[in-house]
Amino acid sequence: MFKPEQMSRLLIVASKDQMAPIVTELHRNNLFHIEDYVEAGAEGYEGFKIGTPLSGATEASGDLVKIRTIQNTFSIRSDELEVKKRQKQSDLEVMIERDLPAIEQEVEGLTVKRSKLETKVKEFEQKMSELSPFIDIPGDLDLYSGYSTLSVFAGYVEKEVSLSVPHEMFSTRGKGKHFIVVIAAVEQRSVVEAALQEAGYQAVTIPDESGDPKERISFYTRQITLMKKEIGEINQNLDAIKEKHAGFMVACEEILKVQVERAEAPLRFATTNETFVAEGWVPSASVENLSQALVKATAGKIFVTVLPTDSEHDIVPVEYNNPSFAKPTQMLMDVYSRPKYSELDPTLMLSIVFPLFFGLILGDVGYGLILLAMCLGLRKYMKGEEGTRLLTVLRNASFSSILFGLLYSEFLGFALPWKPIMFSRHLNIGAHSTGHGPQIPELMILAIWIGLVHITLGRILGMINHARQDHGDHRIKAVMANFGWICVMWGILMIIWSIVQMPYMPDFTTLPKVVSSVNIAAVVGAVMLIAGVIFIARDSGLELVELPTIISHVLSYARIVAVGLSSVAIAMVVNYIAIGMLISPQLENITIIGVLFIILGVAVFLIGHALNTALGILGGGLHSIRLHYVEFFTKFYKGGGKKYSPFGLNRRFTED
Amino acid sequence: MAAEVVAAAITDIELMKASQIGMKAIGAGLAVGLTGIASGIAEMAIGSAAVGATAENKDVFGLVLLLTVIPETIVIFGLVVGLLLLF
Repeated sequence: MFKPEQMSRLLIVASKDQMAPIVTELHRNNLFHIEDYVEAGAEGYEGFKIGTPLSGATEASGDLVKIRTIQNTFSIRSDELEVKKRQKQSDLEVMIERDLPAIEQEVEGLTVKRSKLETKVKEFEQKMSELSPFIDIPGDLDLYSGYSTLSVFAGYVEKEVSLSVPHEMFSTRGKGKHFIVVIAAVEQRSVVEAALQEAGYQAVTIPDESGDPKERISFYTRQITLMKKEIGEINQNLDAIKEKHAGFMVACEEILKVQVERAEAPLRFATTNETFVAEGWVPSASVENLSQALVKATAGKIFVTVLPTDSEHDIVPVEYNNPSFAKPTQMLMDVYSRPKYSELDPTLMLSIVFPLFFGLILGDVGYGLILLAMCLGLRKYMKGEEGTRLLTVLRNASFSSILFGLLYSEFLGFALPWKPIMFSRHLNIGAHSTGHGPQIPELMILAIWIGLVHITLGRILGMINHARQDHGDHRIKAVMANFGWICVMWGILMIIWSIVQMPYMPDFTTLPKVVSSVNIAAVVGAVMLIAGVIFIARDSGLELVELPTIISHVLSYARIVAVGLSSVAIAMVVNYIAIGMLISPQLENITIIGVLFIILGVAVFLIGHALNTALGILGGGLHSIRLHYVEFFTKFYKGGGKKYSPFGLNRRFTED
Repeated sequence: MAAEVVAAAITDIELMKASQIGMKAIGAGLAVGLTGIASGIAEMAIGSAAVGATAENKDVFGLVLLLTVIPETIVIFGLVVGLLLLF
C-alpha cells in the first residue's frame, strides 16, 4: 500500500549448456525482469559478449511471420477471442509442422485470386466510364478508328460548334457541356482544331473496342457482376477458414511467440566462451521460489544470488502493489506516469477520491444508473485489459453518482420525493417554479474545503517523498519548502478569516485587536505567510513565482460545484422544454396536432438526456481526473518509473 | 397628490430592482461567455499541438490531455463568478 512491490536484484551465473533449461524455467515462471546487457565495458563485465540466440530461433521467427500474415488477412486479434480450451503445446507443434503450410498456401491462393479479380473489376469499371459518353452517338465503335484520310475528334465542348469545312458531326447535350464527335478530312485538321479550341474543347480517349457501345457496357456489367459474385465466394471461403482455424492460429502464435522469446533471450545476457551471466529484478517475495525452481531445473549446476540494491543508481522496475479494489485505477496512473520505485504510490488515494469527486459532480440517480448499465453492458464488447479496467473505474464512479444523487435528491433533473439531504442543487427553472433554489455559497465553501484538504494532503505527501528520496542539505530544505507552501496557504486563509465572516468557516473577526483593525488571527496568518515564503525561497527562489497558484489551485476545486450545476441546469431545462412546454399542455386536451407535439416532446427528452449523459460522464470524469493530475499530483508526484515487465508470457490459449 | 407621488416612487424603485436583476444576468452571461471564448482560444493552439504530438507518440496522451484542459480553469472561474452574481 502506497509503495510499489519490493524488488530484489538477482544474479544468475551458469555454464552455457545450462542456458536452454534456465531460459525455459525463467520464461515459465514469468517473474524475472531482465536487465539487458550492453557491451559498454561495465565494471566487472570486461571481456563479456552479448550471447547468440538458441537453436531454432530462425525457424520459429519464420513461422511466426507466416502466422501473423494470415492473422492480418483475417484480422484475427488474439485479445478479442474467447478462450475455449487450452491446447497442448506438443500437439500444436506437430500441427504447426503438418497443417500450417497447407493453410498458408490455401489462404495465399485465395487472396491472390481475390486481388486479381478486384483489379479486373477496377479495369472494367474504368472501361465502362470511358464508354459511357459514346452511348448516345449512333454507330459502332470500330467506326471511330482505322482511317488514313479522316481525323476523328471526340470530347466535351462548352458551346455549339459550327465548322466551315466539310465534316460529319454528332453531339449529345449534357449539363453545361456537350459531348461531340467530329469527323473531317485530314487536311482540314487544323481548321477543325481551331474551331473546337474556341468552344473549350476537352478531348476524350476513344475506347479501343468494337461493336455497339451499349452492348459493350452491358457486357462489362455482366462480367463485373460475375466477378463480384466470385469475390463473394472467395470471401465466404476465407471466412470459413477463419472460423475453422482461428483458435489454432492464436494458439500457434502464442507458442511461436514463446519459442522466439526463449530463443532470443541470450541476446540480453552477458556471455563468455563457456558461461553466461544474467542480471534482473524479481519481486522480493518470489526470490526464494524462483531460485529453487532454477536449481531444480539445472540439477544444481547454477549459481543464483541476490545482489545489494543501490537506491541511487539502480533503476528499479516498478510493479504496483495495491489491494484488489484499487487495481483498476492503476490504469489512470499509467496514463499520467508510473511512480518511481522510491516514490509514494498514490493509486489507493486516487481509487477512493476519484469516484467521490465524480459523484459530487454528476450526483444524479438517473445518470448514475444509465452509466452503471453502460459499464455492465460494454463489458461484453471490450475484451482488452485497459478497457475492462476503465469500465471498472467508471462502474465505481457510477455507484458514487447514485449515492450522491440520493443525497442531492436528483433523478434526471427531477427531485426525488425527499428534500436534499446534502446542499440543494435544484435550480428554479420555468415560470411556476418555487423553492429555495440552489445553495450556491454553501456548495462553493464545500468545494473550497475539499480543495484545501486535498492540497494540504498533497503537500504532506510531498514532504514524505522528499524526506525519502533526497539526501543531505537539500533534503531538509525541500521538506521545509513543502511545509512552507502549507504555511502560506493557511496563513492567507487566517488573514481572510480575520476580515470576513463566511458560512461553514471559522469566524476570527471577533478576536481581540492588536493594532487598530488588525486582530490576533491576522497577525498569526501574516507570520505563517512570511515564514512560508522564507522556507520556499531557501529551497529555490524561482518557486516564488508560483505563489499565486495557491489561490488559483484552491479556487479550481470550485469546478466540482460549477460543472455539476451546469449539468443539473441542462437536465432541468430539457425537462422543462419537453414536459412543461410540449407534453403536459397537450395532455389536457388531446388533438392530432397535440399528439405530434407529444412525440416531439418525447424526442427532446430522449435526445437532451442522452446528450447530457455524455456531457456528464465527460465532465465528471475529465474534471475529477484533472483535479488529481494538475492540482494534486503536482504537489508531490513526479512519476517516470520503469514498468516491471517480467520475461515470460501469460498463456491464454496453450499449456506446456 | 402625495399618494400619486409615493405610487410613482414605488414603481420607480420596482423598475430599478428589475433592471438590477437584468444587469446581474447580463454580467453573469458576460462572465461565462467571455471566459468561454478565452478558454477556447487558449485550448485551440494547445489542442492542435496535442493531437500532433499524440499522433507521433501515443504515450504522451495523458500528459497532453492534461495540458489541453489547463486553460479550462479560466471558464470555471467565469462560471463561479456568474453563479455568485446570480445567487
